Amino acid sequence: MSPAATPRVLVVEDDRHLAAGVLENLRAEGYEVASATDGEAALAWLAQGTAALIVLDVMLPGIDGFALCRTLRERGDNTPVLFLTARGDPADRVRGLESGGDDYLAKPFHLQEFLLRVRAILRRWDWYRSASAEPATAQLRFGGNEVDFRAFRARAWNGEAHELTEKEAMILKVLAEHGGEIVSREDLLEKVWGYDVFPSTRTVDNFILRLRKRFERDPANPRHFLTVWGVGYRFLREGEP
Amino acid sequence: MTARRVFQLTTLALVLVSVVQVGWWLLDQQRYTRATVAAQRDAYAGQVAAAQALLDAGVEPARVAQLLPKVDVGGGRAALAPAVSAALENEERSRHRQYAWEGAFFLLALGLCIAVIARALRAEAQVRAEQDSFLALVSHQFKTPLASLQLSLETLALRSPPPEQARVLIERMLADLARMELMVTQILESARLERGRADFRPEPVQLAGAVARVVTQLEERTRRAQVSVRSSISPELYVVSDPLALDVVVRNVLENALAALAPVGAGSVTLEGRPLSGEVELAVADTGVGFASADGARLFEKFTRLHPGGGGGYYGTGLGLFIVRRLMELAHGRVSAHSEGEGRGACFVLTWPAAAGRVP
Repeated sequence: MSPAATPRVLVVEDDRHLAAGVLENLRAEGYEVASATDGEAALAWLAQGTAALIVLDVMLPGIDGFALCRTLRERGDNTPVLFLTARGDPADRVRGLESGGDDYLAKPFHLQEFLLRVRAILRRWDWYRSASAEPATAQLRFGGNEVDFRAFRARAWNGEAHELTEKEAMILKVLAEHGGEIVSREDLLEKVWGYDVFPSTRTVDNFILRLRKRFERDPANPRHFLTVWGVGYRFLREGEP
Repeated sequence: MTARRVFQLTTLALVLVSVVQVGWWLLDQQRYTRATVAAQRDAYAGQVAAAQALLDAGVEPARVAQLLPKVDVGGGRAALAPAVSAALENEERSRHRQYAWEGAFFLLALGLCIAVIARALRAEAQVRAEQDSFLALVSHQFKTPLASLQLSLETLALRSPPPEQARVLIERMLADLARMELMVTQILESARLERGRADFRPEPVQLAGAVARVVTQLEERTRRAQVSVRSSISPELYVVSDPLALDVVVRNVLENALAALAPVGAGSVTLEGRPLSGEVELAVADTGVGFASADGARLFEKFTRLHPGGGGGYYGTGLGLFIVRRLMELAHGRVSAHSEGEGRGACFVLTWPAAAGRVP
């Protein structure tokens, strides 16, 4: 994904009126826009062009929004996704975010909140890209592990290659930027997901467990991803002595 | 604990208690029968002993046989008559059999009652689940036009657009409101049909007249959409249906055809009526977007919208064809949809019973 001067937003929504309203408002905010009315059209568009963000309806004819997002992630496309959907219960939110979405907004929504979330996602990605722009920051080496933030790939101490999800990469980035310092769960949520996306901070814990499994020699006794009880986490590049 | 679980556990307890109770009762009855028969045998043994004593005392066997008729005194030896012995054995066996049958019948009756209750409860739970999913679906369906309405209003408030753009937004809002109003009407109608409370009064109706009325009502819309509607139905064809239901069916099928034509831009709808044996068929063919043949049956399910975005200002609710199917069922008719594939038009075939006396 190449960062454009004016971020381009792809809106995938089958309701013509709603799509028109969203597109007009994004345009008014200075974004470049493109639209698709179903999942297949969106995939066809993405095969040709790139977007800085995809605003994705869940209940689409044909491939639904969750499946489309999963397909993108499986293809290694890490374009951030903001789900727009009539289904707003917590289980659906979690499903959406687990399929690789970045944020989730239930219909009907407030225009200003929508624009705020679009800005927040783009800001997080801007931060991630600029924080990985220099050769020195694009890579992270610790305990025999090697992480390539730009390619979302990693090679673990045992030689195993891993594809990183954008959330895993972002968490690693935040922890690496604050190496040796305590980062609270709330800070991780705020930086990686935004404000009120997840119902609980347990999600962060699950991601840390996954990182430990991949990069720690003994995940039960971590030396790099340390838990600071009741507060959050501390990342040690050199490993705990 | 759910009501279903309570029912399962209670039933299990009831069956276990009943089986134990019946088993115990069977055992007890058998014991009682055996004891009764043994007591009778003892009584007869007393008679045999008395007969033997009389014989030993030199009483005439004929006299002994007269005094103790259940005892056989042939050959100077007293013994219980074989018929009596067999009758005792018979009684014991038949009583055992009778108790076994009674116990089995009781358990069978109990099982049947439980099955009937379980079936009733399951049917009720299914209706409740369908109602729940109907409500969930309805609320989902409302959220999209509601979101569009809110977005348009907030755009007006936030951006104070120039008059021509404001006009577009207002028209969009009016269309969203009309969409929601249509949904409310159709949802109420379909809910009424679901509960089978439709006030359905079948009578002979002239098909050509009914179709002509609907076509006239939709004339303005078809003209604007550049759709030509041609109908060829003999005035002789009469069907048995509620006139209002017939009107709703023809209107919904025609509106569906217009919706299928909207993304294409223009085209035609042909309505053709023909007599079958004892029935009358109306085929409504359009040159619209069509559908994959696998979707043919799904079209008549609730909230199925194969082309939800519609086009040219048309929005479907996903209830129109569902209502058509239910009304056709009530009229003892049927409806089916056919298409050669996406982009190749579609044909909806409606079949009603022909009116008596006017059977073709």
